[in-house]
Amino acid sequence: MYGKKVKLRAFFILLIFLSAILTIFLVIKALEENVVYFKSPSEIKNLSELENKKIRVGGMVKKSSIKTNDSEINFIITDFKNEIVVSFEGSVPNLFEEGKGVVAEGFLKDRSYFKAVKILAKHDENYMPPEVNEILKDNK
Amino acid sequence: MNKNIKFIIIILLSLFVFFVFYKGLEKPNNYLPEKNLNKIETNLVFKNLNNKEEILLGELINSNSFSIINIWASWCLPCRDEHVHLLKLKNISEVDIIGINYKDKKSNAKEFLSELGNPYVEVLIDLDGTKSIELGAIGVPETYLIKNKIILKKYIGPLDDMKLKEIIKIIKNEKN
Amino acid sequence: MINQIGNYSLFIALFASIFLLFQSSNVIRNKSKNLDGKIFSALSVQSLMVLISFFSLIFAFIVSDFSNETVYNNSHTTKPLFYKISGSWGNHEGSLLLWLLVLTIFLFIFFISSKKLLNKYRILTVLFQELIIIGFLLFILFTSNPFLHLFPIPKEGTGLNPILQDPALAIHPPILYLGYVGTSIIFSSALAALVCGMVNKIWAKHIKKWVVISWIFLTIGILLGSIWAYYELGWGGFWFWDPVENVSLMPWFCLTALFHTIIVLEKRNIYQSWTIILSIATFSLSMGGTFLVRSGILNSIHTFANDPSRGIFILCFLLVLVLLAIFIFFIFQKKLSNNLTKPFLASKETAIIVNNWFMMFFLSVVLVGTVYPIFLEVISGSKISVGPPFYQKLILPFLIPFLLFMAVGPKLKWIKDNLSKIKLNQIMLFILSIAISYFIVKFFRVSYLLILPLFALGFFLFFVTIKDFFSKNSTMSQKISHFGFSLFILSILFNGILAKEFSSNMKVGDERKYLNKIIKFENLKIVEKNNYKSLVANFKISDEKSSINLSPEVRIYNQPRTLTSEAAINSTIYSDNFLVFNVIKNDGYYNVRYQFKPLMMWIWFSIILISVGGILSYLKKNE
Repeated sequence: MYGKKVKLRAFFILLIFLSAILTIFLVIKALEENVVYFKSPSEIKNLSELENKKIRVGGMVKKSSIKTNDSEINFIITDFKNEIVVSFEGSVPNLFEEGKGVVAEGFLKDRSYFKAVKILAKHDENYMPPEVNEILKDNK
Repeated sequence: MNKNIKFIIIILLSLFVFFVFYKGLEKPNNYLPEKNLNKIETNLVFKNLNNKEEILLGELINSNSFSIINIWASWCLPCRDEHVHLLKLKNISEVDIIGINYKDKKSNAKEFLSELGNPYVEVLIDLDGTKSIELGAIGVPETYLIKNKIILKKYIGPLDDMKLKEIIKIIKNEKN
Repeated sequence: MINQIGNYSLFIALFASIFLLFQSSNVIRNKSKNLDGKIFSALSVQSLMVLISFFSLIFAFIVSDFSNETVYNNSHTTKPLFYKISGSWGNHEGSLLLWLLVLTIFLFIFFISSKKLLNKYRILTVLFQELIIIGFLLFILFTSNPFLHLFPIPKEGTGLNPILQDPALAIHPPILYLGYVGTSIIFSSALAALVCGMVNKIWAKHIKKWVVISWIFLTIGILLGSIWAYYELGWGGFWFWDPVENVSLMPWFCLTALFHTIIVLEKRNIYQSWTIILSIATFSLSMGGTFLVRSGILNSIHTFANDPSRGIFILCFLLVLVLLAIFIFFIFQKKLSNNLTKPFLASKETAIIVNNWFMMFFLSVVLVGTVYPIFLEVISGSKISVGPPFYQKLILPFLIPFLLFMAVGPKLKWIKDNLSKIKLNQIMLFILSIAISYFIVKFFRVSYLLILPLFALGFFLFFVTIKDFFSKNSTMSQKISHFGFSLFILSILFNGILAKEFSSNMKVGDERKYLNKIIKFENLKIVEKNNYKSLVANFKISDEKSSINLSPEVRIYNQPRTLTSEAAINSTIYSDNFLVFNVIKNDGYYNVRYQFKPLMMWIWFSIILISVGGILSYLKKNE
């Protein structure tokens, strides 16, 4: 029969193997759950079904569309073809301005209404989020 | 044997990572700043050299045909050499040339023009040089060929015959 | 004039490097006699030339010499002197020159401080390091030369991004680079040691100093970057799992693993291959990080320079280095003495390997989160981002066993220990920690399941390390670092469960109630400063007992036109009150965000403690 040492080693190899599989499984699962997809207003228009998953919407803040009250900021994101109304409660970054690029993270309520939980911008005045830039290029 | 397989796998893996990053670089360079989109900043108010009226640059620039912006100064020697070519350009092409007088004394500028001739439709004053910077200028002389508020061509340094031919060619091609 | 000096000295440095490359490659043909003098002088020339070049760039920035394109693009005459100087490395070209400077100077120090060691090993290290230096020199000279001439000479520069006008950020890159570049010495010397067949105790003792130095700089560099993000970006957090931040964290995990392994190699002469692999990986990650940040391939809030041709250069260069390292590793692997003495299960060696496994796991998580979006976009074309929950979900549960091992591991003896002698007082401490954390969880009504064990083990490590200060069985530096880490975990946990955030749109004069506090927007005034205008708001935050005034600002810079928010932070040793406001539109409303952040000071302080451990370990006389 096998010696005690061999058994012990086999046990350890098995243990390492199992924990490796477990880890990979955990990583993949966490990735699936926490990946945030990026969409443009036009892509949202063409969605076949609405999922209750966090997404990012990017485009331009439409000129004179920002409306503020005590708790909310409402504005429209446009990619020059389609637009989507966004409502947001919280704080906005420095570069949130009409006519500038913006990326909003949040949940779709329907194909033309988006409830944002986070507004992103980059600290560079010339900055356009890359996705936004691509969309605008396609549609200009 | 075992070692060789490991070796090959690692090499392949690093090549794969290299390939993916390489491909990733090929996607359009997204971070181009807006000012590199070559759009001219038209939202600038200048004073006119002759009558001190305030003019918005956007009003001077033709929206559907060509315009040329030339940044110059009387103290700048290359501008003197360039001036002949500007006059030539005005006669040949009938394009509006807008002059921006850079960090200059008004009297000197007027003298310069009366001595050498005036190729400009308007001469605008940029006393402290800040507006020229907003236009993207790095010195004098500089010349921009503009259509639809987009800078088609940017010349740093004085114009010469070669550059003049190029400008005229561009204008002709676009017209046809 | 200055431009030419800087430019030509770079070329001279390039010639010196090529000379060094040929000279040092003689060592392969075993003609290493009398090379010492030649190499020493060539190295001095090289370092001196790069130093001159670097100072001429700083000088050009100080005198605002706009005939230099880098100065024109990044400076302005009205900028304060301090930021003119820091502006010289705040941009792509200058920062690479700084990299190069540190590379050459580190190599010089390495060469003169290793005289006692085998000559072949030293010269081989020079050879590998010169390969890296030449790569950087070519990169600087041909794709990002900081001394490009501009004619006609502009009258004024286009300014520096005002976000970068910040003391923490001005010294953050150089310190981070010291850490990155330190790993290049580890890389070269690991390869050299491998070729010479001297991966042993002597080498470990020698290279450990470099590992510790790089680790200290990397730690402090990350800390500074995080402090900067805390008060400048105005989001009130200190770590956002942003790709650019992750990129500095990855070599840190690797280096921390190496830091521990090298001790085993020094004491017990085992884990040779693993040490070499870690050395190669650490440097590859540092270089890979530079690639990711500098090429613009990452979609991050921090990237500044973006030029694909530069990215391709770094990428190819990195591939060459990695392939070289892999080839050398497989060719010379057999030279490693196959020390097959298996470590016993309960020993310090095993504990350190366990640490390494955890570090590698954390590293993989961060690596996957950072590069997965790039891979997915290339392969399937869909654009995604990976959010903070991903990292939290994967890292937090594994912190629990990690903390346990951290508390128990250092107590184990080398070679073999007996687990059955676990002392009663340790069990007491463990029960005490669980009791305290149970109380905390009940008291603050925390619902998150993992918080209880995390708190318990955080406290356990805390108590154990405090108790260890009175015993003699491990080094002072280890105690301080591990104690600092327990403090770090505890402050983050408290911060996480007690932090409060409130945001609203307010007009001047408005009042908002939040919890037991009243936030009042008292007034707003405009202040003209030398190179910017500032909107200074005044807020009063009061509860029953006390009130504080906070004055956040919005700054409007002219060159280039940029808006930045300066958060107002009231720091005490218990908590931070953080307030930032922002202009949305010219309709009277201002976007206001108030945050209550407990124990922020302790987070910074604990990281400083962790690095103090490293500094002590460096200063400690050998034996």
